[in-house]
Amino acid sequence: MKRKGLVMAAGFAVALAVVNVALVPNLKAADPVEEQERQVTGRFLLDTHDGQRVTADSFEGSLRLMAFGYTFCPDVCPTALSTMAAALDELGPDAGQVVPMFVTVDPERDTPERLKEYVGSFDPRFIGLTGTRAMIDGAARQFKVSYKIHPPAQGDDPDVYVVDHSAGIYIMGRQGQFLARLAHTATARDVSDRIRQILARGG
Amino acid sequence: MHRRAFLLASLAAAAAPAARAARARQGLFIHETPVPLPALSVKDGDGRPVELQYPLVLNLWASWCLPCVAELPALDRLKPWADARGVAVVALSLDRAGAAAVRPAYGRIGVTNLAVHTDDTRLAAETLKAPVLPVTVLVDRQGREAARYVGPAAWDQARDLVTALAEGRPITAAMAPPPAKHTGAAP
Repeated sequence: MKRKGLVMAAGFAVALAVVNVALVPNLKAADPVEEQERQVTGRFLLDTHDGQRVTADSFEGSLRLMAFGYTFCPDVCPTALSTMAAALDELGPDAGQVVPMFVTVDPERDTPERLKEYVGSFDPRFIGLTGTRAMIDGAARQFKVSYKIHPPAQGDDPDVYVVDHSAGIYIMGRQGQFLARLAHTATARDVSDRIRQILARGG
Repeated sequence: MHRRAFLLASLAAAAAPAARAARARQGLFIHETPVPLPALSVKDGDGRPVELQYPLVLNLWASWCLPCVAELPALDRLKPWADARGVAVVALSLDRAGAAAVRPAYGRIGVTNLAVHTDDTRLAAETLKAPVLPVTVLVDRQGREAARYVGPAAWDQARDLVTALAEGRPITAAMAPPPAKHTGAAP
């Protein structure tokens, strides 16, 4: 009798747990941003601005701060890389545990040389990443980044065109797994605070 | 109406989900009530702190930002004209390298009137809530932000705007300089 009661209680607890498990993913699925973030695998195969082929595993053991974009902004330029660089400054010695990376979605114009000069103007620690269109598309898919290239109008300079891209600053874990995505409007302090939280948790 | 436009623009910038495309509304945004300019860390070419003088045309730029570099010659041409009317023109660089990045850029572009001003903390854009560059903040005689221009502009055609700042008159939409588009290759 006593035992039966225990079993029933256990069964009830299991039923509750099942209900919880069933509810949580449903709630998450209701938020498209969260749903998208759960699909960010963070895998990539790309070339550094120095011509070295790398994957997410090449940075094993380091946290990563990543952004996608392009260097030819004809109208206005996002300040996300500047924010990331200022966040590294705020982290001080802790920045040594973070690899900052910038992936171009415009490999035709962003040559490795151009990329190297560009990221270097923010911080010498930055690694510019590029590749073939297929490699970049692959990485963009794994990060749920979308972009669109607007071809130049007829008669215009063929090197002048606009690229729209989804913006945001990614924080990836030491095994390359997704940890957080901050809006491109995040401040340097937002970024460094989040990294400090991750470090404090032993991440 | 302009205040509404500005509010909409800042809301769009602040509340946009991370996955949304990095697009910003451009043009002149006028505050219905001018807002005090937050404290900025501005240094001159020798690394000495600079106290800003008002009224002021404060342009935020960086050497890595092509449209910023593209509009600097027009701002450089505006400066002596604005100086003569008591309106300061400051191009504030957010380059990490500070003056070492500004001087070669000025040389390349042929800037002769603008002084070297740097913010090597690189926090001026976020202090002024500008998620994109260039942004030019128009500061009235009391040191308040009266309006701002987002994106590159033909600043040598902003004389009405400078005159209004000099005389302490409100800025109107009709005073906006035409936008400038960067059409050439990388410098």
